[in-house]
Amino acid sequence: MTRPPILVPIRVLEGEPIPDGVPELLANAHVVLLGYHVVPEQTAPGQARMQFEDRATGRLDEFESLFESVGATTERRLVFTHDGQQTIDRTIEEHDCLAVLVPNSTQPPDDILVAVRGTVGVDRLVRVVAGLFAESEVGVTLYHVAADEETDEDSQTLLDGLTDRLAEQGVEPSRLETAVDRDVSPLDAIVETAAEFDAVVMGESDPSLSTFVFGMPTDQVAERFLGPVLVVQRSPETDDQ
Amino acid sequence: MGESGPGDEASGVNVDGESPTAPPERVTDETTVHDDTELERTIGLVGGLAIGIGTMIGAGIFVFPGLAAQNAGLAATLSFAIGGVVALLVALPTSELATAMPRSGGGYYFISRGLGTAYGSVVGLGLWLGLVFASAFYLVGLGHYATAVLAEVGVVLSVNPVIAVGLVFGVALTALSIGGTENTATLQNAVVGILLVVLTVFLTYGVLDAVGVFGRESAPEQFFSQGIFPAVFSTAALVFTSYLGFAQVATVAGEIKDPERNLPLAMVGSVVIVTVFYVVTIFVATSAFGAEQLGRFGETAMVEVARDLLGVPGAVAILFAGLLATFSSANASILSASRAVYALSRDALLPRKASEINLRYGTPHVALLAAGGPILVLVATGQVELLAEVASFLHLVMYALLCVALLVLRRRDPPWYTPSYTVPGYPVVPALGAIASVALIAFMQPASIVIGVAIMVVSYGWYRYYAGDVSLKGAV
Repeated sequence: MTRPPILVPIRVLEGEPIPDGVPELLANAHVVLLGYHVVPEQTAPGQARMQFEDRATGRLDEFESLFESVGATTERRLVFTHDGQQTIDRTIEEHDCLAVLVPNSTQPPDDILVAVRGTVGVDRLVRVVAGLFAESEVGVTLYHVAADEETDEDSQTLLDGLTDRLAEQGVEPSRLETAVDRDVSPLDAIVETAAEFDAVVMGESDPSLSTFVFGMPTDQVAERFLGPVLVVQRSPETDDQ
Repeated sequence: MGESGPGDEASGVNVDGESPTAPPERVTDETTVHDDTELERTIGLVGGLAIGIGTMIGAGIFVFPGLAAQNAGLAATLSFAIGGVVALLVALPTSELATAMPRSGGGYYFISRGLGTAYGSVVGLGLWLGLVFASAFYLVGLGHYATAVLAEVGVVLSVNPVIAVGLVFGVALTALSIGGTENTATLQNAVVGILLVVLTVFLTYGVLDAVGVFGRESAPEQFFSQGIFPAVFSTAALVFTSYLGFAQVATVAGEIKDPERNLPLAMVGSVVIVTVFYVVTIFVATSAFGAEQLGRFGETAMVEVARDLLGVPGAVAILFAGLLATFSSANASILSASRAVYALSRDALLPRKASEINLRYGTPHVALLAAGGPILVLVATGQVELLAEVASFLHLVMYALLCVALLVLRRRDPPWYTPSYTVPGYPVVPALGAIASVALIAFMQPASIVIGVAIMVVSYGWYRYYAGDVSLKGAV
C-alpha cells in the first residue's frame, strides 16, 4: 500500500501541540508537516523569520520525531505568511496531499467513521482510508446519509461498492461496517454518530453560498466533534469520479 | 528567476557586531525561499495597485490643487503632468530592478546592491525619513480636512485645530499599527475603491460642467497666469509628493505574488492612473473657480469646488473622501517607513533590535515607533509645503540613484542580474529619469534643499560610524 500524503498544518509558534493520538492515527501516512506562522500586515514575513526561525525549527523537529516514532514518513515545511489559508492551499497542491488533518486529540484509534457523500471523490477517499488503515486493526464504519430521492438500494449499492474496493485494497471485510441514515441533516447526523468514534474521515465540500455563509461543513464537524477530522481534498482535476 | 540573489557577497559587521542576514536561495511566484523556510507572497495585483494609488491620491487631489493653482495658475495642470512624466520615467527602470530583485526594502535594496553600501545607506535612511516627512505632510492635510468638517457642522474653536488633529491621528495611527491585527489590506483596497468611484463621478460631472454642458460660464483663465518659468516647474517640484507611492509598492516587493508580472503592472499602472486623475482634477478645479480664488481656499480647496458644482452633498462627499484619502496615505507611509527600517536592520545598517517584533501583537513596534515618533515632531511644525518638498527631495535623490543603479548594473552585467521585465528605451529612459529627478530638485525652495542635504550628510555619517565595514554590493 502506498502511503497517502496527508497534510498536518500546525501554527507552530502558538504553543499548539500535536494532539494526543494523532501520530498513531497517521502512522501509515506520509505526513507533510506544515509549520506556519501568520504575521500581521504591519510585519514583513522576513522580519518574523529573523526572530522566530530557530524556535519554529526546534518545535518542528520535535513534531517530526513524534510522527517518525510511530512509523510515519515525514516531510516538513516552515512558512511565514500573512495568509494561513493561502499557505495551506499551496502546500496541499505542491505536495499533492490527499487529505488535510484538522488536529484534535483522540485516543490511539480503534474505530473510525468515514462519511460518504456520493460517488464523487470516492477514489481519493479509498486511497486515504486504505492507505492509513489497511495494515492496522482499526474498525472502519462507512456512513452515508441518504438524500430524499435516494432509495435504500441506492445507498446500499454505494456503500457495498466502497466496501469491495476497500477490501481489494487490503482492509479485511471483518473490520468494515456500513450504516445509512435518512431524513436527518447530514451535518448533525455525522457529528452525532461520530461521538462514538475516534476520528472522522470526510470529503471536502464544494464551495457554495451556504458554505460561504456558514463556513465549510468540514470545519463545523471538526469544531463540534472535538476529535481529529481528515478532510479528503477534491481532486485538482475535475473529472475525478 | 535567479537562483541566487545579489547579496551573496554581503559581508562585514557593524558596531554592534551584527552582519547582514544571508540572502534567499531563490524566489518563486509564491514564495521567497531561505534554506528550509519559506516566506509566503500574499499581495496580488489589486493589493499592489491599492498601495500605490492609496498612498498617492490623498495628496495630489485633496491637498495640492489650491496650493498648486496659487503658484502656477491654470498651468498647474501642466505641473502635475510633468510630475507624472518624471514619475513614469523612474517607475519603468524601478520595475526592471524590482523584477530582478523582488525583495522588501524597495529602492534602498536595489541601490545598495547596485551601487554599494554608502549609497544604500544614504538612500535607505533617506527613504525612511522621506516617508516620515510624507506621512507628516498627509497628517497635516488630514488635519485641514477634519477642521473643515468641524467648520461645516458649525463648531467654532478659538484655536486652529489643524495641528492638534494631525497629532491625534498620528498617535492613533501608530498605536493602531502596533496593536491592531485586523486585516487592514482589505480595508485599504476598499478605501481606494471607494475613492476612485467618488472621484470618477465627481470629475466626470466637473469636466462636463467645465466644457459647458450644463450651460454655465466657466471662469475664463489665462493658462500661464504666473508665467512658465520657473512657476510651472517649481510647482511640479512641490506637487511631486503626489507621486511617491509607486516606490512604496517596491518596499513590499518581497510580498508581492508573481512579482515578474505584478510589480511592473502595479508601479507603472498606479502612476498612470493617478496622473490622469490629477490632471483632470486640476482642470476641473481651476475651471470652476480660477486659480487665484482656488489658492485662497488652501488645502481644502476641493471641498469648495465640490460645493460649487454639486452643492452641500458634493462638499460632504469630498470632505469624507479627503479624510479617507489623507488617512490612508498616512497609514500606508507609516507602514512603508517601518518596512524601510526592517530592510536596513536586516542589512546591519541599523541595529537588529530596530526590527524586533513584539510577542503580544506580532508587530515591529520599534520600527513603527521609529516612524511614528519623528512624524509627530514634524506634524507639530504644520509646514505643509516644506514637509512635502523634503519628502519629495529625499525620494527624488533615491529615484535618480535608482536610474543610475540600473545603468550601472546593465553595463556591469553581473550574472545574478536577470530582470524578467526590461525597461523600454534603454538607455534613454533611465538616463532621462535620473536627469529629470535631479532637475526637479533644483526647483525646490532653498529651505527644503538644505534640510534634505543635511539628512543625507547625517545618513552618510551614520554609515561611516556604524556600518563602515558592511559590504552589500552585489557580485561584480
